[in-house]
Amino acid sequence: MALTDVRHARTEEPRHAPPKRQRFWLHRFDTKTFPYLMIAPFFLLFAVFGLFPLIFNAVVSLRHWHLIDKEKNGWVGLDNFTKLASDTDFWDALVNTFGIFVLSTVPQLLLALMIANLLNRKLRGATFWRIGILLPYVTPVAASSLVFAVFFSRDNGLANWFLSLVGFGQEQPLDWRAGTWSSWIAIAVMVNWKWIGYNALLYLSAMQAIPKDVYEAAAVDGAGPWRQLWQITVPMIQPVVLFTVILSTIGGLQLFTEPMLFDENPAQANGGYDHQWRTIAQLIYRVGWSDLNLGYAAAMSWALFLIILVVAGINALVTRRLGGGK
Amino acid sequence: MEKFGRRALRMGAAGLVAALAITGCSGKDLEGGNTDSGNAQVTLKINFWGDMGLDQLKAKYEAANPNVKISLNTGEYQAQHQDLQKKLVAGSGAPDISAVDEGFIVQFREQADQFVNLNDKGAGALESKYLPWKWQASKSAAGAQIGLGTDVGGLAMCYRTDLFKAAGLPTDRAEVSKLWPTWDAFLETGKTYTDKTKKKFIDSATNLFNPILSQQPVGFYNEQEQLQMEGGPKVGFDVAMKALDSGISANLASFQPNWDQGFKQDQFAVLACPAWMLGHIQKTAPDQAGKWDIAAIPGGGGNWGGSWWTIPKQGKNVDEAYKFVEWLIQPEQQIEVFKTVGNLPSQPALYKDPAVLDYKKEFFTNAPTGQIFASTAENLKPQYLGKKNGPTRLAVENVINRVGQGTLKSADAWAEAVKEAEKAANS
Repeated sequence: MALTDVRHARTEEPRHAPPKRQRFWLHRFDTKTFPYLMIAPFFLLFAVFGLFPLIFNAVVSLRHWHLIDKEKNGWVGLDNFTKLASDTDFWDALVNTFGIFVLSTVPQLLLALMIANLLNRKLRGATFWRIGILLPYVTPVAASSLVFAVFFSRDNGLANWFLSLVGFGQEQPLDWRAGTWSSWIAIAVMVNWKWIGYNALLYLSAMQAIPKDVYEAAAVDGAGPWRQLWQITVPMIQPVVLFTVILSTIGGLQLFTEPMLFDENPAQANGGYDHQWRTIAQLIYRVGWSDLNLGYAAAMSWALFLIILVVAGINALVTRRLGGGK
Repeated sequence: MEKFGRRALRMGAAGLVAALAITGCSGKDLEGGNTDSGNAQVTLKINFWGDMGLDQLKAKYEAANPNVKISLNTGEYQAQHQDLQKKLVAGSGAPDISAVDEGFIVQFREQADQFVNLNDKGAGALESKYLPWKWQASKSAAGAQIGLGTDVGGLAMCYRTDLFKAAGLPTDRAEVSKLWPTWDAFLETGKTYTDKTKKKFIDSATNLFNPILSQQPVGFYNEQEQLQMEGGPKVGFDVAMKALDSGISANLASFQPNWDQGFKQDQFAVLACPAWMLGHIQKTAPDQAGKWDIAAIPGGGGNWGGSWWTIPKQGKNVDEAYKFVEWLIQPEQQIEVFKTVGNLPSQPALYKDPAVLDYKKEFFTNAPTGQIFASTAENLKPQYLGKKNGPTRLAVENVINRVGQGTLKSADAWAEAVKEAEKAANS
């Protein structure tokens, strides 16, 4: 693909009757080059903020780059990755990340489906409801996480007040941050609250594209609403389901702000005093900016990137199978 | 094949055009800073946290130096330090002058090549004015001085006179100091208080551990950078465990919303307090004026916190920045800061100054704060802070907090603390 190839090709190209040279160029520029110019800014931004960090991270992950232990700084090959393989902190964080991911993604998508199904009926003030469920998505995640952090506080939290109404935690209030499960649930609630509405709206828009007569035919055949949902709606909005599954996989495995702000002292990036809810993204932050081991943090980022690729791939495959695709 | 080649070429060209367009607008110098330090207009950006008493000083300095404009940029304590660290790694964007606290000074001292060596600017002549340990703490292993000290914490024990009275304890500061010559006696007082009132005595066990550790001759690391858990840390850890086992701790995380609320709801009656804490108490619980007083801390002197002014090397106005910092640490300005926000100067000559010596804080039942804190700072045995001091402290604090949460038994805690500290030492 040398430059000579290109020159060779140009002589061959004009097969039809040649118009005026100038207009020909203008036309060619308009149809062939201009589209690329239009989309170039995106790729440029992607190159600067997406591709470059990715490659730079890969380079850094092959180095020992510690801001305090500077004696060993330099190329170390795959040392950071072999250290990672036996680092219990990393695997613990991975388990936490997956635990919170399952607790948030599964109820999130199911509830979004139910809500979208409800909103798909004839409702009074339909726009009001549709905008209403989107409000949590519009709220900045830092703001809502801070409110939730107070909501789940041990001594004066609203969550414990609700629990006390049903007679729970009378003698000792539940310390949401102390237990593994309680902290996972609290964080999953934050994630679910934010994303259910957004996913429901995506599902709703897909549902509205399904022709009404399919449902009518099913109703005539005696299919109830539940059966219609699972056997008509879900298969017919499958591409959107696939999209939401992949999107929430990426978001779930990169979970950062919610667990970060759930800590009593967020700047320490602890994820609980026993690191019981520390996610991988949090661990990366801690290793990079608290332990100042930038090379190792970069290796963790790359490992996370690979894990997300694999998990998103598996999820896409499974979703496609479940949805009745090929 | 050849079609692909042409397409790639065109796309590359398009990208190049766009790249030129973008770099074209980014220009060269957006900050308006000047490289030549003549009489040209200069803006000095200063980062710090909380209130360091600079508002009036800024006006004063700007009036005396019309070519200098000072831009004060306060923020959250941890965020400001982490921001400085990121800017140092990035190589640009750091402020002209940045405050660095004791909790982070080791981390930045280890990156001394990123800061202006103030000895090169003539700071060496100031050494004799400072508390020796304050001067040493900001000096790199190679001898570069990265910061000029502003304040030191000192250490005392703040207590609530009204709550002490309700529990039948003495309220006069001399008598209260006599209650607890040792930390064990302090714990006994706490048990008496909790038995009587059914309320917690201290805010958290980590706020016992840290002051006690600061009183020890050797901290987490010795000067050969070896972890010394069985020495000083064990002493502080044992007291912290005893406090948790006897149920006198409210287990609130310092400087977080629940802690602030704890002040207002009388959730604890004492608080280990350095000089700069006074401002925080005053701001958090303004309606408790006259209900606080300050006694001696068990076990003698100690220090918690205190800051330095540093000048990152990447700044464009390092000479003007140094001039300002040198002016800031002159006695006149240090005393003004002490009076406005309560921060104790780190130059012992000032402790003899009547302005410090005779100062009484009304909020704290007219306690002579200058005298109290100066004596603890002066009598301090300097402690070497290791390179990994910050992460190690955090790891051990986490273990103490797990015991506080009830997820770890105090009997198993020490082994866990040693394990976590070793992990932090190797991080």
